[in-house]
Amino acid sequence: MSHIVEIKTEVRDEVAIGSACQRLKLDPPTRGTVKLFNSEATGVIVSLPGWRYATVFDTRSGEARFDTYNGHWGKQAQLDRFLQAYAVEKAKREAHLKGHTVTEVSLADGSIKLTVTVGGAT
Amino acid sequence: MSPTIEIVVSPTGQTQVQTKGFTGSKCRQASQFIEQALGQRTSEQLTAEFHQSASQQQSNQQHH
Repeated sequence: MSHIVEIKTEVRDEVAIGSACQRLKLDPPTRGTVKLFNSEATGVIVSLPGWRYATVFDTRSGEARFDTYNGHWGKQAQLDRFLQAYAVEKAKREAHLKGHTVTEVSLADGSIKLTVTVGGAT
Repeated sequence: MSPTIEIVVSPTGQTQVQTKGFTGSKCRQASQFIEQALGQRTSEQLTAEFHQSASQQQSNQQHH
């Protein structure tokens, strides 16, 4: 054990967004502009279950734009679930691109643990 | 045993990255690609093992 880093997820990778949608059995993401309640948002569009309006990810800033009217038009838990799926898929993708192997385990508290085995490094 | 990077993603999408089995500061380089890909660092904690192996490395270098 050498160091521990905490990271706030930023959604910047369109391929990983697609993998997260696939993982959660959501419709594939699209790119474009959608209308929220009283505004418009442009970026990668994801439809979360039970949400009145789509969630739009700006892949340059990593931020999400949405309108849930304080949870009346969509539950935060659905966005959290998506962010978890995105982080898992993004981490797996990056590790595979480096040629590392990855194993995935679901933990009792709902977290997902990935173990990346770094071949040849010391 | 091969060095590993453990990534725990919470149900809210927050991520904790932890390195295991690396020598000294190499752990930082090893996990940098994952950290940068995932988002913004909110904290970093160096463990006792990091300091132990870093000072060991330093003392080895002084002897050479």
